[in-house]
Amino acid sequence: MKILVCVKQVPDMESKFRVNDGGKWYDEADLALRMNEYDEYAVEQAVQLKEQVGEADVTILSIGSDRVKETMKKALAMGCDRGVHVVDDTSYAKDPFEIASIIAAFAKDHSFDMIFTGMQSQDRGSAQVGVLVAEILGMSSISTIVEFTFDNGQVTARRELEGGLKAIVKAKAPALMTCQLGLNTPRYPTLPNIMKAKKKELLSVEVATLLQVDAVQETTRMYFPEKKGGGIVLEGDVGNMVNEIINILKDKTGVLT
Amino acid sequence: MASYPTLNFNLGETADLLRDTVANFAADELAPRAADIDRDNEFPADMWRKMGDLGLLGITISEEYGGADMGYLEHVIAMEELSRASASVALSYGAHSNLCVNQIYRNGTEEQKKKYLPKLVTGEYVGALAMSEPGAGSDVVSMRLHAKKNGDHYLLNGNKMWITNGPDADVLVVYAKTDPEAGSRGISAFLVEKGMPGFSTAQKLDKLGMRGSNTCELVFENCQVPAENMLGAEGRGVNILMSGLDYERAVLSGGPLGIMQACMDVVVPYIHERKQFGQSIGTFQLMQGKIADMYSTMHATKAYVYAVAQACDRGETARKDAAGAILYSAEKATWMALEAIQTLGGNGYTNEYPTGRFLRDAKLYEIGAGTSEIRRMLIGRELFNESSA
Repeated sequence: MKILVCVKQVPDMESKFRVNDGGKWYDEADLALRMNEYDEYAVEQAVQLKEQVGEADVTILSIGSDRVKETMKKALAMGCDRGVHVVDDTSYAKDPFEIASIIAAFAKDHSFDMIFTGMQSQDRGSAQVGVLVAEILGMSSISTIVEFTFDNGQVTARRELEGGLKAIVKAKAPALMTCQLGLNTPRYPTLPNIMKAKKKELLSVEVATLLQVDAVQETTRMYFPEKKGGGIVLEGDVGNMVNEIINILKDKTGVLT
Repeated sequence: MASYPTLNFNLGETADLLRDTVANFAADELAPRAADIDRDNEFPADMWRKMGDLGLLGITISEEYGGADMGYLEHVIAMEELSRASASVALSYGAHSNLCVNQIYRNGTEEQKKKYLPKLVTGEYVGALAMSEPGAGSDVVSMRLHAKKNGDHYLLNGNKMWITNGPDADVLVVYAKTDPEAGSRGISAFLVEKGMPGFSTAQKLDKLGMRGSNTCELVFENCQVPAENMLGAEGRGVNILMSGLDYERAVLSGGPLGIMQACMDVVVPYIHERKQFGQSIGTFQLMQGKIADMYSTMHATKAYVYAVAQACDRGETARKDAAGAILYSAEKATWMALEAIQTLGGNGYTNEYPTGRFLRDAKLYEIGAGTSEIRRMLIGRELFNESSA
């Protein structure tokens, strides 16, 4: 079985962000970087699937500058077998269609049985790349999965929908899954696996050899929202405050309706 | 509070990935329990299997015995990140993984390594090392635990004191006098197992800090240790002891680093949250001066400790610097814990905040693995002797 996992390196979300000079993305200086949280679920699910089926080869793919190799090494230490680094110093400026096209261009000749991606990236958050890859490759996709089982070539996945709804979806391999919080608990890379990761193949591919499309959307401006006024501070008798809170929850949220 | 950029020591990919793994593991599994472990003075036995599963317990030993084959720099980082969450559990980890596991790995016969290392590496066994005695602390060569050859085994008689992991240990590296007349050349090392006839542990000590890292006295009454359990050659124990101490000091220096980082982890958010005169106390220059001193001292200490660990990995003699690393880091950690308490004011003086624990834990490192006084003596003496014509 051949499995592909797509991972993105993103900033630590606790960082202090600034909009860069171009005004279309954030300034990357001094940011601590890590694996996109949803991609960690994708890596974990791929490794679990490999452990389940026994005979499997898991490829990790990441697009970006040289620094994304650090994130790829973590995925390799978690149990992926090989890495493909698509070298692109300006990947942040590409739109979801371009990114998906790059991934699809690599994947089309490798006949992957299963592709895992994160549900979305924590920085751009378009949630489009995974499903676009499946579309370009002509394979089925199941998005925002929170449960995954594989049996005899068939996937059964539980999806998370708006408003707390869940859905059970079945699909035949080859298929692509986009992974949501709650799917699994990503493992810590063990120390022996950190050492083994150093010896695993990490191939570099120039982005120009894979990118054959133009962007279909353009970010014109990135900005912080206007600061809103402060919150409401309730004071006085506890009983009155509880009533006030209930009224606020009824008026301004859906939790008590 | 936003996370803030900090100095990159450029320690390499393996060290960075290891730090990430251990930091996440410690934050998830250990930090939430640290206050309870301290209060109850209970060793969290279940952590040993978890650390074993992660590969932490055999960090410096080779794959054939189940180890991770990493270096002393990585061991320092593991100590640091575990200590950041719980200094006491990290101390027990250091005693197990360096003092016991690494000593057996460096000095054991093939049979000894095959017999003991795999179980120590998985966490099935807890390990310890026994050097000090009630009457032999800094003056370790004056130890009185006696090992007398008796056919195919030795009979050990005497006591050991202040033994980290003593109450929990399944395997202990024990130093004893095989020739009491021969001074330092009469010391040999033995591998003692819990359950060997004549071996027992006395009540565990009620310590100021490092609570949960159990410490006790060991009692040997005609304790029978098979002759094949001698570690290294007879009479060569002091060489094992002294060379082991160099690595021990280098590795344990990670402990104070972790406590220093834990101080920053508490202080930096606090100076944002705590408001006086209508503003965060972090806006006051005296507070800014305090965190500037803490931050720069911590990084200066890290730089020295990492450099010494890297020298150990290169196989370079680092005796005075191993002693220097732990002398400096230990005293700075105690100072830093005091600064953290001062920053938190009245809150810092309560047990609602962890800074008191940091202070009590940090102080150990000025005493264990050689006191600050012995370290200064060693460094000064080496410097004088090495520079003599």
